[in-house]
Amino acid sequence: MTSYLLRRLALLVVALLVAAGVMFVLLRMLPGDPANALVAVGATPEQIQQARHAIGSDLPLGQQFLVWANQLLHLDLGNSFINGLPVGPQLAQRMAVTIPLTLIAFVLAVLIAAPVGFIAARYSRSWVGILFSSFSQLGIAVPVFWVGILLVWGFALSWHVLPAGGFPQDSWADPGAALTSLTLPVITIAIVMSASVARYVRAACLDVLNSDYVRTFRSLGASFGSAMFRHGLKSVAVPVVSVLGIELATTFLGAVVVESVFALPGLGSMLVTGIAQHDYPSIQGVLLLTTLIVLVVGVLADLTQRMLDPRLRGGSR
Amino acid sequence: MSVDTPQTMTDGPATVTAAVPRRRGSRRATLIVGCVLLGLVVATALVSYFYLPYPPEQIGGGRLAGPSPTHWLGTDTLGRDLMSQLMIGARIALAAGGGSVLLGGALGIVLGLAAAFAQRWLDDTLAAVLDILIAFPTLLLAMLVVAARGATLSSAIIAIGLAMSAVVARLTRILAKQVLSEQFVVAARTSGTGWLGIIGRHVLPNIWPTLAVNLALQFGLAVLAEASLSYLGLGAPPPNASWGRLLQEAQGTVYTAPIGAIAPGIAIVALVIGANLLADGLRDVFDPARRTR
Amino acid sequence: MHSTSPTHRTVRSLSVIAAVTAAGLMLAGCSSSGSGGSSADATLQVGSIYEPQNLDNTAGGGQGVTEVLNGNVYEALYKLGDDGKVTPLLASKYTTSDDGLTYTFTLRKGVKFHSGDELTSKDVKYSIEKVLAPKSQSARKSDLQVVKSIETPSADTVVVHLKQRSISFVYNLSYVWIIDHTAKNLKTTEDGTGPYTVQSWKHGSAITLQRFKDYWGDAPKTDTVVFNYYKDATAENNALQSGQLDIVTSEQSPDALSQFENNSQFKVNDGNSTTKLLLAFNDKVKPFDNTGVRVAITEAINRKALLKSIWNGYGKVTGSMVPPTDPWYENLSSVYPYDVSKAKSDLAAAGYPNGFSFTLDTPNYDPHPAAAQFIKAALAKIGVTVTINIITPDEWYTKVYQNHDFVATMQEHVNDRDVTWYGNPDFYWGYDNPQVTSLIDQAEQSTTTAQQTAKLKQANEIIVKDAASDWLYLYPQIVVAKSTVKGYPVNGLNSQFYVYDITKG
Repeated sequence: MTSYLLRRLALLVVALLVAAGVMFVLLRMLPGDPANALVAVGATPEQIQQARHAIGSDLPLGQQFLVWANQLLHLDLGNSFINGLPVGPQLAQRMAVTIPLTLIAFVLAVLIAAPVGFIAARYSRSWVGILFSSFSQLGIAVPVFWVGILLVWGFALSWHVLPAGGFPQDSWADPGAALTSLTLPVITIAIVMSASVARYVRAACLDVLNSDYVRTFRSLGASFGSAMFRHGLKSVAVPVVSVLGIELATTFLGAVVVESVFALPGLGSMLVTGIAQHDYPSIQGVLLLTTLIVLVVGVLADLTQRMLDPRLRGGSR
Repeated sequence: MSVDTPQTMTDGPATVTAAVPRRRGSRRATLIVGCVLLGLVVATALVSYFYLPYPPEQIGGGRLAGPSPTHWLGTDTLGRDLMSQLMIGARIALAAGGGSVLLGGALGIVLGLAAAFAQRWLDDTLAAVLDILIAFPTLLLAMLVVAARGATLSSAIIAIGLAMSAVVARLTRILAKQVLSEQFVVAARTSGTGWLGIIGRHVLPNIWPTLAVNLALQFGLAVLAEASLSYLGLGAPPPNASWGRLLQEAQGTVYTAPIGAIAPGIAIVALVIGANLLADGLRDVFDPARRTR
Repeated sequence: MHSTSPTHRTVRSLSVIAAVTAAGLMLAGCSSSGSGGSSADATLQVGSIYEPQNLDNTAGGGQGVTEVLNGNVYEALYKLGDDGKVTPLLASKYTTSDDGLTYTFTLRKGVKFHSGDELTSKDVKYSIEKVLAPKSQSARKSDLQVVKSIETPSADTVVVHLKQRSISFVYNLSYVWIIDHTAKNLKTTEDGTGPYTVQSWKHGSAITLQRFKDYWGDAPKTDTVVFNYYKDATAENNALQSGQLDIVTSEQSPDALSQFENNSQFKVNDGNSTTKLLLAFNDKVKPFDNTGVRVAITEAINRKALLKSIWNGYGKVTGSMVPPTDPWYENLSSVYPYDVSKAKSDLAAAGYPNGFSFTLDTPNYDPHPAAAQFIKAALAKIGVTVTINIITPDEWYTKVYQNHDFVATMQEHVNDRDVTWYGNPDFYWGYDNPQVTSLIDQAEQSTTTAQQTAKLKQANEIIVKDAASDWLYLYPQIVVAKSTVKGYPVNGLNSQFYVYDITKG
């Protein structure tokens, strides 16, 4: 177990470094000049050159990379080209929006998906099951931003019960206000995400329900619920957990669209702004962080699976 | 893949066997409803080449007119007929879905087969690269492609197709390796059948049903991804009436003219559900063993 | 030398465009304090979509810098009022030499910086030179190139020598913030003389202004003013609707206004902005080097209908680059009125009886894509085919502005008094009429403002006659406030927004 963990961690660090290097080069291959975002339209050529010098984009690529790598070694993500502020604290500020948003939505989605998927499987042959299956069928076909637009229309613009978007200026100083502004975005993500998780739960439940073991148990007179609870739960959990890992990661990365609908100052919007302005340090910061989170979530999902299913512990990945 | 939406493209038999015992009737219904929905969108796109209520770019219906006999779905802020735009949008959605599946499918299958046949170390490397690519945000990929090529439909298709190819390649690799380990294939290989022959005679015939089901799912996801990109302004530029862009434009006026923010969404859902139901139906058709379970 | 320098004023900082269009910032639920009562200790919550990039207007901070700081935190020697008039602020008076080349300013007494330092002539010299410094990103830099040298004979006297006459010099000084010459870190902190100090700045959400106790003038009417920054208008309007905001500096879309228009709790003000939406031709390349073609295009586009589509009744069609707050304004929209059949015949007379095709480089943020689609449909009626090429602000800057590699483009020009750009043949649109260049030069050399006004009126009439560009419309400046809020500026000149006279009621 320990050696497995060490290997995974080593792999994680390597993947992170490779991703960072590739990203650095890819970004600088794009057309466009970061200095353009710094100067006003009346700028003279010398003003533009001045702007390039100020952010160091006039250095040769290799040298730029060394500067950046050196900063990274000192755990410094550099300063934004645009506002000149260190990227690290800005990332922290943005994470205070994106991470709660993703995690709350994730938990809510699982809470919805588990019963929906279970009922869809349990009553797969009746109209109840079909109804619940239809919910997930519908949910995986809706564009997430459309759900957001409709919720804003109803809850914010028509009924004025929740804000249409935004996040309190003092972040979580007033948790009530922060949660209120996250309510609609969370519901938006949870609806779409639960639909897709529910399908996996249903499929996994069906597999277990049809397994000989549970059939036998039920034929001995045990109730459906206790058969499921005592013998099937783990078998359902293993495949579902692997999917949840992927879901969590994609939701985290996909938050950008939802952040756009609700004008949330999260990591996604920082990335979009950064790309529009060629603000390389900000882009690199966001990407490094998101890559790290995705990789860590992957490891955690793997570990959870291993704990649930001893058979996986022995051998190959 | 679809990182711009919380839906995932890594939706295949590799992770969970979505075995679904169902009554024959509901199975057939799935396939039929899927075909009907898909057919409706295809028919709309075809009709749009011969007939549109108004030229889609014609201005003059009045600002944000509501639905009426002259404009079935009303008009947008510029006074253009929404119905006509929606019909044009069907073409774009189908092109985005179809184009991405062609690109992602072709590239993914070739890569996946190559990995399956390659030396152990190369296979391992490819598998690791694919895992990283799958974790790479489609949206970011799209932004990079757009930054390099400009915001067009083809940029969106390339980005979606590339992201999809990693998913398809991983699936192809796993399926192909299963086939390659079967006794009869091992026998064929030792008896001197070339790799091309193995692929043509054994691998493809055995894996294509699963691949086809997956590609149908990918089609739906590609349509969603294109809608998201257009919504963010990274898809086909105006005046191309991409459904995602129609929604983006209507978002600001949802309170005064809700129809503009409802109709394109319904169109997207119809097309994606159509593709998904078709995939489910195909799964049952291709896998009679599962059907009778 | 203003007519040969590449440009004069900023169209608009690209960084701001990107910030506003792309995504990012924003906020809502500000924990609003004080409810009504006497406004001396009240907090005014202002909503805006222009968050500054930094606090220094010589370091490319964007238009948000002007909005929050100009006149509120920093003051200049002169002040540009909401009506477009220039009045003394930190200077109590000035005299000019007979040749118009020497200005002697007397500074107001008893003015203190927020750091506690007294205002002296040294600070004025430092501030003007800061704008002119090599690394200055100030949009006003080229306007002030006319300054030859600055002397400080005494603590309250500043003498400025000019290279040539410049009637706009005093007006231009209204953009030069007077900064304490010992101040540091001006990107993140400030040291001005204004009625407010910057108390805090939460990036991505808000800047809080606090009353400056030692202010030399009348105390501001409200103690604390918070500028809350939003990424999009929907969130901003919702915050106003739900009472989190007292006032919104400039509405960006008319569709949200219906919720305020019929509500007695709110007041919607339709003021004049200085922002013009332009269809800018490249006047140096075919087919737009032909005046007849430009005239035909102008006649083919129904500007009133376009304005109605985008602003639903707000805004104005002025038919020229000059906004109503400029002294030389006149409405010239009837020079080439909307007339499709005349457009067709003019196009034929110009040598294009069968029309032509061209590519319209269109910035990717509102309202350009919508306006471009309107233009495409309108020009189709006279046989002209438009290909819309959507580009990012960055591309616009490189391709259109720097390299002049375009046939036609769209852009919003935000500043007042910017018709003088047409006197620069090297400007991006390539309009080159020696008569106009000379008139604009003469206007700057005028000895009286009446003379300046007459010359610029004459120049503008020629520019419009030549259809140098198509000035599609003037943006409205829509301020929405709670109806109890009083004393706010209603016109938007260069995005400035004086808050010191506002009361919450």
